[in-house]
Amino acid sequence: MKEKNFISAVVYVHNAENRIEKFLKALICVLEEHFEHSEIICVNDYSGDDSVEKIRQVSQTVENTSISVVNLSYFHGLEIAMNAGVDLSIGDFVLEFDNTVLDYDPEEIMKVYRRALEGYDIVSASANRREKLSSRIFYTVYDKYAINPTNKMRTESFRILSRRVLNRASHMNKTVPYRKAVYSYSGLKADNMVYQPVEGSGTDYKPGKLERRNKVELGMDTLLLFTNVGYRLSMTMSVLMLVLMLAVIIYTFIAYAVSSPVAGWTSSILFLSVAFSGLFIILSIVIKYLQLLLELVFKRQQYSFESIEKLTK
Amino acid sequence: MEKFDKIIIGAGLYGIYAAHYCGKKGQRILVLECDEAPFKRATYINQARVHMGYHYPRSISTAMKSAGYFDRFNKDYSFCINREFDQIYATSAQYSWSDRNQFKEFCRAAGIPCEELHPERYFKKGMCDGAFLTKEYTYDAHILRDYFLEELKKYPNVQIQYGSMIREIHKTSDSYVVVEEDGREYETPYLLNATYAGTNQILEKVGYETFGIKYELCEIILCDVNDKLRDIGFTVMDGPFFSIMPFGKTGLHSLTAVAFTPHTTSYDALPTFSCQEKSGGFCSTQHLGNCNDCPAKPKTAFPYMANLAQKYMRPEYGFTYKESLFSMKPILMSSEIDDSRPTVVRVCSQKPTFVSVLSGKINTVYDLDEVLEES
Repeated sequence: MKEKNFISAVVYVHNAENRIEKFLKALICVLEEHFEHSEIICVNDYSGDDSVEKIRQVSQTVENTSISVVNLSYFHGLEIAMNAGVDLSIGDFVLEFDNTVLDYDPEEIMKVYRRALEGYDIVSASANRREKLSSRIFYTVYDKYAINPTNKMRTESFRILSRRVLNRASHMNKTVPYRKAVYSYSGLKADNMVYQPVEGSGTDYKPGKLERRNKVELGMDTLLLFTNVGYRLSMTMSVLMLVLMLAVIIYTFIAYAVSSPVAGWTSSILFLSVAFSGLFIILSIVIKYLQLLLELVFKRQQYSFESIEKLTK
Repeated sequence: MEKFDKIIIGAGLYGIYAAHYCGKKGQRILVLECDEAPFKRATYINQARVHMGYHYPRSISTAMKSAGYFDRFNKDYSFCINREFDQIYATSAQYSWSDRNQFKEFCRAAGIPCEELHPERYFKKGMCDGAFLTKEYTYDAHILRDYFLEELKKYPNVQIQYGSMIREIHKTSDSYVVVEEDGREYETPYLLNATYAGTNQILEKVGYETFGIKYELCEIILCDVNDKLRDIGFTVMDGPFFSIMPFGKTGLHSLTAVAFTPHTTSYDALPTFSCQEKSGGFCSTQHLGNCNDCPAKPKTAFPYMANLAQKYMRPEYGFTYKESLFSMKPILMSSEIDDSRPTVVRVCSQKPTFVSVLSGKINTVYDLDEVLEES
């Protein structure tokens, strides 16, 4: 008995000619075996190799799933590219594959789907292996300083989303700078499943230079937008400097009274420290303003709820 | 060999209109049609829009031409026109080539009425950035067909021959000779090729230059709709979206989607499709069969179109699958960029005259008048 739900798969493709064929074949196989209706949307993020040609070849072999390619005009990076694909998808559920590294048994896709049917709007799959150091640091900082922490985040291979999450994500934000954060902010139920990576697979994948640079920038942007780590850091620093300057003012008076410094020293130091104190006060206010603006822009909706329960008649 | 003043190939609207137009003048006309009845293909199997031009926000020339003929067509054939519904055009928030302001500006420039509405009244939040109440109708091909057949009965000088298979066409010094598969021959100084999807196949038989067209095997789905949707037509623009609107006076809605209505495409000068082999001789590169009656017609794309429509429309609008209609649609390659649908009337030769017409819109049929006047 095949699933009646319409499923969409959005796949990020950037210079993946070596992997894309194997990946798509496995994906098509799973979708056609289990679903009556499905579509695959490949987002080609300005690949410079034969990825699209490979996709074309594979698409000749499909039976009933529909395959389309969105060709982006220049390199956009993972997040925007995936948004482009997700916007085009029409499925009741949407699978997001952030890369085409197939280090799992394709049946994991069905496990994630079945989990979603149990009432989880977002279900992600992660490999059971040590995360890269950079990822560990990122997620640790993120989890510690997230503005409204809901679920712990970690490196994910793919995830499934219900139409509800996607609708809510598009209401909540005009732009979606970092999908994982926006999805988790949607306030709907989420779950993470861990799979045992297939041995000897997925190790040959090395992201390109553009992808790496994009990832670092994304990490910084995310920490600034979705956590208060930047605000806390800069606020602490300016308060610290303010205190320091006040200490210098007091010290100047003491020095003036106790020892008699060189003429002009007292007035210059006094002027400098008062001016700097003023500067740091202004800076603190500006940072606070920026923080407020950020919240207004990115959190247009004041609250996000998981469900509404009616308890009485 | 029988002689006629004009021979018209194809009994779609353009062919029948031409026959009626010239028949009224007392000319001897022969219409050759390969199907068993008129209006069996593109004239019947399309969205049945009487275009006012809204559909072409990137081709103001097409828009203005449609608008110009809109009133005339609705007056001349008012009996087959369904006006009793609200036609809502909307611009998709994502992936549209035109946005709300561009659409408004376009309507103003083309001089066609459009009243702006609140998109969330009809569509899910965030899906469309603009919604407009427009003036666009739908025609009923079967009522139109019956009218023309009744009309043509008054003119015994007009003959329609069904089941006609053309083997070859020769040009002599002052006439064209059409030879059918069964050996019958007809001669005429004026041959009109009004075959739409078969136009290049006819041109090829005479040896004239073919149109630069691609062919799409298209599926129009007829749906039963609930009361909420009954008196509304939706068209989401301008890109890979959908339309669900009343289908003439049948009480059904037609559902189409830009991405899923075309099942396969052929870029060859003559239509070449893999399903032709499976049709058992019903259809070939040289002679297109009627896709709707073909044993090898594709499986319906209803689940895809339905999901797309449901992604946009508010949930109170319901529809269910009734049946699918398939037909072949030729599209001029020069129209890819601006998405225009010009009516092309090409005079291939004069004395003897050979005219080919290619048009994807019903109400630009009047473009034929000029070329039919010459004799």
